[in-house]
Amino acid sequence: MQPILSVHNLNKYYGNQVGCKNMNLTLYPGEVVGVVGESGSGKTTFINSISGNLIPDSGKILIETGNETIDFLEISESLKRLLIRTELAFVHQNPRDGLRLDVSAGGNISERLMSIGQRNYGNIRQTIFKWLDKVEIDKSRVDDFPRTFSGGMLQRLQIAKNLVTSPKIIFMDEPTGGLDVSVQAKILDLLRKLVRELNLSVVIVSHDLAVIRLLADKIIVMKNGEAVESGLCDQVLDDPQHSYTQLLVSSVLQV
Amino acid sequence: MIELNKITKKFTLHNQGKTNILVFNNLNLKINPGEIVALTGPSGVGKSSILKMIYGNYVFQSGQIKINNHNIDHTYPRNIIELRKNIIGYVSQFLRVIPRVPTIEIVMEPLLEINSDKDEVREKAEKILLKLNIDKNLWNLSPLTFSGGEQQRVNVARGLIRNYPCLLLDEPTASLDSVNKDIVLNLINEKKDSGSSIIGIFHDEYSRKYLNAREIDITKISDAK
Repeated sequence: MQPILSVHNLNKYYGNQVGCKNMNLTLYPGEVVGVVGESGSGKTTFINSISGNLIPDSGKILIETGNETIDFLEISESLKRLLIRTELAFVHQNPRDGLRLDVSAGGNISERLMSIGQRNYGNIRQTIFKWLDKVEIDKSRVDDFPRTFSGGMLQRLQIAKNLVTSPKIIFMDEPTGGLDVSVQAKILDLLRKLVRELNLSVVIVSHDLAVIRLLADKIIVMKNGEAVESGLCDQVLDDPQHSYTQLLVSSVLQV
Repeated sequence: MIELNKITKKFTLHNQGKTNILVFNNLNLKINPGEIVALTGPSGVGKSSILKMIYGNYVFQSGQIKINNHNIDHTYPRNIIELRKNIIGYVSQFLRVIPRVPTIEIVMEPLLEINSDKDEVREKAEKILLKLNIDKNLWNLSPLTFSGGEQQRVNVARGLIRNYPCLLLDEPTASLDSVNKDIVLNLINEKKDSGSSIIGIFHDEYSRKYLNAREIDITKISDAK
């Protein structure tokens, strides 16, 4: 099996400041990779640099579409836009960053569908209802504005909006970050089901090791912009080899 | 078949004065298909560590672990993920699940990895939950509020719903009453008879005898302790 996404020696600087350096990643279809580390360690810079939100200074990003391997940093801007709308998706920590608040819930979900050329109102409407159902938002809310939604509902709406075009690779930056724990559990359950049912490949950033433990197959531990340890998620958390990872794991409060 | 050849395992605690703890040196062990091996020895001797090395949770510094001829090699996490999906099952001591997910779904999950027919999988999950005396009224509740024994049986149901060629069991009967203990032990025997290689930790002599397990005292197969 071929990796669906591979990142080689990626670097991103802000002036002289290191954003992330020498980063590598291999993501296979159906796999979830977690990126952890304290705030300021470069997690968000890394995920933004590999998803098209930021332009890295150097490195290689290869995306396998099934028919061809795409060199993500070398392709034209228009092809990149198309990829970002179809094969890739980005779920922001704050759902307000990923949604249009002055457009109805249904309108938000249909945006990506229309951008890839779907025009049949009936079909679009049907797909919207299917996705509202999948993320457990009541159908009666389809024409409501997102600003009337709770935080947890907004996050579920953002997930529906992103997944409606069946993207292959999903990037998530702290998707359960601002949510209370009962809502967080629901989102985690939803994400896990979607990953399995749709065979999604996911890169997820979180500072919460428990979230990563439940979702991720593999893990990258970052510190000062670099990966200090990476590997099988269970192994890195149960038998960390690097002193920083040991510190991180041993600092988690037991409930 | 599970094979451990000349395994060395140590822990280096970087933040605690770089303390080195040698757990195993020259550890050798082989579990054949249709065989149950029970690890014995005083607590802290590394019984769980052996299971965790086989499952890939712990790294080892030298030697070889082979599962049905596939190497456990941490430079290729993908291979370990595949082995877990297809070959190695693990019943851990404690249940680790997403809060609020119903019991029935937790039990279905491992089977859904290889079978997408939800109704068929649900039927199998119901069957094994019935067998393990988990009350029907509990199936749609999260197991996190269950009693210790119930949680353990949910964990067993999840681990034994599939027929893995290799099975790792960490005290699967520790907090069970004698009736449920026998039920779990019978299930394990069924897996053995179907040809699984099984290695486990069973704290009581009764379980080990019931399973007709080959007992291995770890202190006798490693030079470290």
